[in-house]
Amino acid sequence: MAEGLRALRRRYVEVLRDVSLSVSRGERVAVIGESGSGKTTLLKVVLGLLRPMKGEVVVLGHRIYEIPERERWKVTRRIGYVPQDPFRALNPRLKVADIIAEPLSRLNLSESEKEERVRAAVKMVQLHESVLDYYPSRLSGGMMQRALIARAVVHEPELLLLDEPTSALDVSTQAQVISLLNAIQEKLNCAMVTVTHDLAAAQYLADRAVILHKGVVVEEGSFSEIVRNPKSDHARVLLASYTLGVSEGPLAPLGAT
Amino acid sequence: MVLAVEAKRLSVGYEELEELLWAVRGVSFEVREGEAFCIVGESGSGKSTVASAIAGILPPHAVTEGELRVGGRLVVKGNERDYEGVRGHLVTYVPQSPGASLNPYLEIGDQFYYVLNNLYGLSRKEAREKARTYLEMAGLDPGAVLDRYPHELSGGMLQRAAIALALSTGAKILVADEPTSSLDAHLRLQIVQLLKRLRSEVGLTLIFITHDMLLAGVLSERIAVMYAGHLVEVGPTKEVLRKPLHPYTSMLIECVPVLGVKRPLKAYAGEPPNLSEAGRGCPFYDRCPFRLEACASEIPPVKEVGESYYVACWLY
Repeated sequence: MAEGLRALRRRYVEVLRDVSLSVSRGERVAVIGESGSGKTTLLKVVLGLLRPMKGEVVVLGHRIYEIPERERWKVTRRIGYVPQDPFRALNPRLKVADIIAEPLSRLNLSESEKEERVRAAVKMVQLHESVLDYYPSRLSGGMMQRALIARAVVHEPELLLLDEPTSALDVSTQAQVISLLNAIQEKLNCAMVTVTHDLAAAQYLADRAVILHKGVVVEEGSFSEIVRNPKSDHARVLLASYTLGVSEGPLAPLGAT
Repeated sequence: MVLAVEAKRLSVGYEELEELLWAVRGVSFEVREGEAFCIVGESGSGKSTVASAIAGILPPHAVTEGELRVGGRLVVKGNERDYEGVRGHLVTYVPQSPGASLNPYLEIGDQFYYVLNNLYGLSRKEAREKARTYLEMAGLDPGAVLDRYPHELSGGMLQRAAIALALSTGAKILVADEPTSSLDAHLRLQIVQLLKRLRSEVGLTLIFITHDMLLAGVLSERIAVMYAGHLVEVGPTKEVLRKPLHPYTSMLIECVPVLGVKRPLKAYAGEPPNLSEAGRGCPFYDRCPFRLEACASEIPPVKEVGESYYVACWLY
């Protein structure tokens, strides 16, 4: 019995250790890691949702964990966030229009201004205006992801955080969403941080990559550097799992074109 | 030439409320014995339904038309289905997510026992012996997994265990439905290499369902591409990847990001049509940049364009 009780005592698991990362305005960075690497935890820390046990977090010029929790939204509302898994991230009881308008609630806008912003966001993600009246259950996976992106950019954030923005999507939808995200990033000139396990897709969403492994940054640099000259064992294993397929498979000639 | 699978104008639909939704619409194809055959498509293409039809695990509310032969036995004829002596004996199945398919209340060893006892009346001891052989073959240490419950194993180990379980039935036609899509990148490669090795060791016919053209390229000898329930292109993998004929196939190849290769990703606007809104013409009509007048009104017939190479497109 005592044994069992002792096992219940709280233990801390280090999810992220000594991670340093800075992203400047207008920059696109990808954080790459497999399940359990700590990549989603990192996003939560930046979003002001999870106080780190050690270290400092500066978001848009503010040390957010020194700001009282009730005031923190004044900084974090300037962030746009696309959560993982579009199929579960939309409130099934709200219409798409209300979902997209959520980030505007603290902005002191009139109803008509809000509506206009929502329409502009929907247009930006190339959804038809008719979906505004739909409930999420009527949308396809690609449309759900577009709605989530619209919600993340409706308030024109200065920092855009994307958690696995394409991994739940079909490949052809993934390609569409990638080009959409890049167009939005360019238009808003915001910093864009993408968290993903997919190294190949990440090269289209970022100029710089950070590879996380068990909570530690094992690799950082441009994609071409990492592909050409990986420094860590983990990155080598990861690369092999992509490139072996390419070098052996008949797709290799495509690379030349 | 011995055929492992032969489908003739096979259609599979599901009864939903008042409607009948056709997920697979009149597909014809053949898989040779010993071949590695990939069915590639996106969600809603019908690829998993074809897999279920071959493996004999269509739900009771499914409706079928056409004919399907597995291992030389007629299993689907019109709306009649009979997999007796085929399911588990001639054809076996690896699910997409083994974590959700293995019984959470049974230790791995017992999962083997229930399958093998049901199929061949093996005793617990005999089943355990057999499990050891196949787990080892799948690259697992039998001692470390036999007495474990599924939740105690990692994703990669579970998928290996599921493969071992599928092979232990002795069936030589293995249907694997996206067995790697829930795995991390480095595990994905391991599972693909495992399947390749087992295929030659055991002499399997491998029917692999995936949305990943790259993976299909590494693994298979022939590729079948499905879109909205239709088979749009079937041919030798190398030829299809080098010079795809159907505009959808070429899009599928060019929209996949390849590491270390910077080229624009090609994706025609739009998404696959809903099952309920099938038009009269080519299913790809709305998205196709090469569409002709005929495409709007008539479904293109399947045309033979080379040796065991077929395409359904009015361009050819």
